[in-house]
Amino acid sequence: MPSKPRASRRKPETQPQQPPAAGGGWRRKHWAAAAAAALALVAGAWYWPADVTATAAVPARAQAGSAFLQTPPIPNSPQQSQAAREVRLQELTSQLEMADQTLCSYREGTKYPNSSRPIAEHPDQVYPNHPVEESHAMRKQGGGQDATVQVQTSQSRVYMAAGESAAFSIKAVDNEGKPLPVFITRAVARGLTFQATREAPQVALSFTDDGSNGDVKANDGTFSSVLAPAQTEFAQFNGTIRTEVRYNVGDRSGIVVFDVIYSPENPATWTGQIREAIEDGSLSFYLKADVRMPGRYIVNGRVDDANGKPFALVNFNDLLPQGRSEIRLTVFGKLLRDQAPAMPLRLRDVDAYLLKENVDPDRALMPRLEGTAHVSKTYALKNFSEAEWQSEERSRYLAEFGKDLDIARKALVEFNPEQAKQPFPQSECSRKVAAAGKGG
Amino acid sequence: MTKLVRVLTYLLFVSLTAVSSIASATNYTLWINGRTGGGVVGDYTSFTYWGPSSTAAGVNKKAVNWDGYNSIASENGKIRDALDCFCTGSNWCYIATHSAGDLMLGYTLANYGGSTRMKKNATPNSSGQCGNSDGTTQVGWNIKWVRVASGAAGGSELADAGSWAMTEPLAKDLKTATARAMYNHNETRNVWFYMYAGAKGTLYSGILPGQDDEAVSYHTTGGVSGSSGASFCNPADWFCNDLTLGTAANEGGRAKWGYHSVSFRDDNESYNHYSNGNWQGIISVVRAAMVNYAK
Repeated sequence: MPSKPRASRRKPETQPQQPPAAGGGWRRKHWAAAAAAALALVAGAWYWPADVTATAAVPARAQAGSAFLQTPPIPNSPQQSQAAREVRLQELTSQLEMADQTLCSYREGTKYPNSSRPIAEHPDQVYPNHPVEESHAMRKQGGGQDATVQVQTSQSRVYMAAGESAAFSIKAVDNEGKPLPVFITRAVARGLTFQATREAPQVALSFTDDGSNGDVKANDGTFSSVLAPAQTEFAQFNGTIRTEVRYNVGDRSGIVVFDVIYSPENPATWTGQIREAIEDGSLSFYLKADVRMPGRYIVNGRVDDANGKPFALVNFNDLLPQGRSEIRLTVFGKLLRDQAPAMPLRLRDVDAYLLKENVDPDRALMPRLEGTAHVSKTYALKNFSEAEWQSEERSRYLAEFGKDLDIARKALVEFNPEQAKQPFPQSECSRKVAAAGKGG
Repeated sequence: MTKLVRVLTYLLFVSLTAVSSIASATNYTLWINGRTGGGVVGDYTSFTYWGPSSTAAGVNKKAVNWDGYNSIASENGKIRDALDCFCTGSNWCYIATHSAGDLMLGYTLANYGGSTRMKKNATPNSSGQCGNSDGTTQVGWNIKWVRVASGAAGGSELADAGSWAMTEPLAKDLKTATARAMYNHNETRNVWFYMYAGAKGTLYSGILPGQDDEAVSYHTTGGVSGSSGASFCNPADWFCNDLTLGTAANEGGRAKWGYHSVSFRDDNESYNHYSNGNWQGIISVVRAAMVNYAK
């Protein structure tokens, strides 16, 4: 069991004292750096800002430690009675701020529909076809880790459409980032099955560092391979394919595991026709598709402005019948008016799948539209509506959250009648909105 | 005559119950379990996974049990049944999740959060399904907010490293790359996920990067966006980026998923992952918050 060296990694205490930890431990490596830091501290070169704990953006009394778990004192003296009152007041104030935050953030967040959002709200959805890169300490074949070897892995896909391939790569470096020689001893892809419910295909893969077979650059210490299920025994396999790669770095033996979820089904195909229209003050793209398998389809597209700057994430999530359908991806009018992207807009990287209920695997992917799928016409912004999104769902939520805020305010006034003579406490969201001059 | 009175009384009782379940607005607190499960599936009073059912845990608490063994997708219907039961019509829900329950709820809202739902009467049968209330529908569910005890929506390196049984379907879903690609974690239907991150972990510190609670790292329990593998710690740690409270990007610049806010960071390393059948570990912190806020 690895132990964590404790004291040497601690920053100076800058928070209120809390009860001692019942356990836990201290982390990791970098002892040389720790010594250097200690030396700098002794030399008077140490600096650390006083406020190292970030302020919570929500008024849910975000906190480190366990202060809010304390039980209020039992009031059996005037002092204790006053203390109990303070605790109760704090509790009611906190509940009011929570209700205010919930209402305000919902109102602000739903100015645009869920199907058309600023892409800044979805930072990990901007480039869906970039490989997934991870790093970790070497995982040894017999169990345990070797922290002196850091393993960097990459896989080009997790969910795969019929006929797609996935590239895997592996590289080892030391703690300074210098490449370490890797020797791949065995790489096998096998279908995962549970409780022997079906036969599991098994395919050997070849990892190389010769600039071929998915390897980007020869002799750079990165070993790569490509899994193309449709060209192997996995052609009809529907589920998770696990590739285990066993390797040596020096005399140490490690293992890396890559999972992909493959479906040989092609539930629908794009016809390639995309049209656009201004409707209800918004810009809609209509993507024609031939649907073979009816059901709930989830489609995501990215919209860049004329300068290539990612601007919006547009989404379709609804039932489609069998046959020819048009899938609508809408860039909401107010979003266009608020962010004023340079025209024309470029719809790119559209991914789509049929979502199957209560089964595993739960999806069959449509062919991906990688890169630019459509370029819009150039429109003046005045063509688009400035109106906020309205729906029964939004009205329902705003009504309920407004009711909760009223209840919280009444409870506070009932407990502290003086509150009625002064402004109610506000959440961070309400303060921001007020500061921006948008009302409150 | 006596029989007739009995029948009429029964009918009156049934109709009053029906009217009450349709018309009254009720808040519920749902608890969605994680890996291993333990509660009776479909029995919303079965709190075996969490602790004694007599313990306060928010208004009108319900245990939304799934088996904690099979995959997220295949078990997901149980969660949708519960949301349909208690979070439609005039009824609203507060939700608490633990561990893989976070992945389960995130998957539900991202994929089905905008779907059309029949309004239900909050009276479940033995399978955990409720009858329709007035025959009308609504878009999505009525959820006020979610509190997450050591959420595993971003997966765990314990699944990557094969520390959990390879024969367990859920373990493959908890692989970090898979969990993070499974759905758009930023899409919560504008419902806040308040994250509670425990740090009393030592046993797997070599596998789990940064601070952990013995099962899941801060990069996941803190709702950190992007690939896994990055280390996030408490501010007292010199050589590891801080997991920040609230919605702010973490030290080093990594953002959190949309509508995810860190409400609790375990600076004292006092809370591990496990309830021990008695509302313990990080669950104790969330339970206290549910008692305070879920009214």
